[in-house]
Amino acid sequence: MEALKVGRPSPAARPLPWLGVAAVGLGFALLALFTWSWWDRSDLAGTGQKLLILAGFAAAAYGVARVANFVAAVRTGPLVGFIPAGLTLALLLLTVEALLRAYQVPAGLIPTPTRVFATLWAVRDVLLQDAYQTVVLEAFTGYLIGCGLGVVTALLVSRFVFLERGFLPYATAFSSIPIVALAPVLVKMMGLEWPSKAAIVAITVFFPVVVGTFRGLTEVSPLSLDLMRSYAASNAQQYWWLRIPNALPFIFNALKLGTTLAMIGSIVGEFFGAGGQGLGFRIQIEAGRFGFDIVWSAIIVASVIGIAWYGLVAWLERRMTGWHVSFRE
Amino acid sequence: MLARLRSPNLVPMLVVALVIALLYYPLMLFANLPVAQRALDSGAALECDSALECATQLRSPVLPSPQQLWKGFANLLFPLNSPNAIPLNAAVTALETLVGLLLATVVGFFFAIGIVASRAFERSLLPWIVASQTVPIIAIAPMLVVLLGQYGVQGWIPKAIIAAYIAFFPIAIGVAKGLRSPDPLSLDLMKTYNASSWQTYLKLRFPASLPYLFTAFKVAMTAALIGAIVAEISTISFQGIGKMLAENSRAADVVATWVIMIASAVLGIVLVALVGWLERVVTPWKR
Repeated sequence: MEALKVGRPSPAARPLPWLGVAAVGLGFALLALFTWSWWDRSDLAGTGQKLLILAGFAAAAYGVARVANFVAAVRTGPLVGFIPAGLTLALLLLTVEALLRAYQVPAGLIPTPTRVFATLWAVRDVLLQDAYQTVVLEAFTGYLIGCGLGVVTALLVSRFVFLERGFLPYATAFSSIPIVALAPVLVKMMGLEWPSKAAIVAITVFFPVVVGTFRGLTEVSPLSLDLMRSYAASNAQQYWWLRIPNALPFIFNALKLGTTLAMIGSIVGEFFGAGGQGLGFRIQIEAGRFGFDIVWSAIIVASVIGIAWYGLVAWLERRMTGWHVSFRE
Repeated sequence: MLARLRSPNLVPMLVVALVIALLYYPLMLFANLPVAQRALDSGAALECDSALECATQLRSPVLPSPQQLWKGFANLLFPLNSPNAIPLNAAVTALETLVGLLLATVVGFFFAIGIVASRAFERSLLPWIVASQTVPIIAIAPMLVVLLGQYGVQGWIPKAIIAAYIAFFPIAIGVAKGLRSPDPLSLDLMKTYNASSWQTYLKLRFPASLPYLFTAFKVAMTAALIGAIVAEISTISFQGIGKMLAENSRAADVVATWVIMIASAVLGIVLVALVGWLERVVTPWKR
């Protein structure tokens, strides 16, 4: 009869999982205790300490599972809903930190999380410059150009059947081409500076936007089209009042996908030569000389920007297509 | 594939290809002329007299001429098993990609079952799996290769692992969607048969997830191929498309990079077409 219950109970109706919270606290405390006691040591940890780490991890993992079950069962806002994920991340970081210290893995091979964060803070100026180069100049410029051209092309393709038949199959095929192979050619053609990477980004973003927008423009309900015709709507009106609104959810899907492609395109493009700046350039150079703390810092910066960018587009999507079915509760 | 070729798209596609081919030649001349003029003016010993003639045979053209591309293909395609030719290297990269995809499928299924079976698992891990998708995962490749190399994992295996790492997300999400796709009526039917949850998975959920799996495969295949190539580029490798790209890019052999670009595009299309073919064989009821 579970399925018949409508809605989920409010948080007040369920007791808090105190056992789970206590287990999380205990586990985190054990892991932190070990990390703190081994902070300056340079010898391998004994069996007892390793068991301590294991116990801490097991307790915290059990607790996180309890808490996650509780959060999944009650109706919550997005902030509370994020608690299990946040706890998982904290648990992973703490465990990795403790294990790396217990086994004394050289920092040149795998840096501890604390070391990575310290490095991130220490080299923030350089990384911010890299991010400006990679994200603002390369990824964002290319993204805007690619998306703009993509939407315009899709409008044309949907208007002319000949283009739909002759051009669209190529656009679909293009999505299965590895972007990396474009990079060396475009870098050779346009030079080491940012325009070559912007071009890579524009090309990789362009095709998914064309295909997505085209689907949105053409997958219109025949009834709506008939209605438009009975109103004697002109082609332009048909596009403005029916096809383009219908395409918006599809366009936003492509735009969201495009944010990831843009970041990948600009970073991979820099692997093939850059003017001495950029996140991809930094990663390539530092990985080559075992500066993994800087590599991880650059990855963190790229990830945070990638997620923020995606979030921005998703927010815009909610603002502009809030009426769509996928947003209804 | 054959059905598509016989479709009404064929003639328009050929026309578009023809128009692009016809536009390409003047565009190529236009792009190369300034470079050719500069080369002539510098008084270098060239085998051509006019800028127009030189534009088709520059050593590093902005756009290579069709003759150059043709010659480049002839140079790079044969002999088939030469370590410097495309066929062998493409085969190595394809192998890495396919093994990576297989690995990603195993891990992806594991995660998908976790997501479907346990809400705690979904709540604590899914946000990070989704976030990892918005992250330029590719950035991790150079580091993973060096790291795996330190622990003695070398050759084509680390590339397959990276391909798997990059490809597993779309598979996990696709399969999770597929495992949830059976309608409640079918699930109820399983319950009335007193089927165990293992039987429900085996007889209902897995078959229902197959179409979703193949859709995910198409995305994951391209991702895996990109992962394999990037992994080859960012490490010392002796075989593979990525190694050829890196080598020729460093040697500033422009025509060769164009040829390799076209070859890897073909490789990508062939691999995805392979998935489409497999889909038609495995899920004939979907047609």
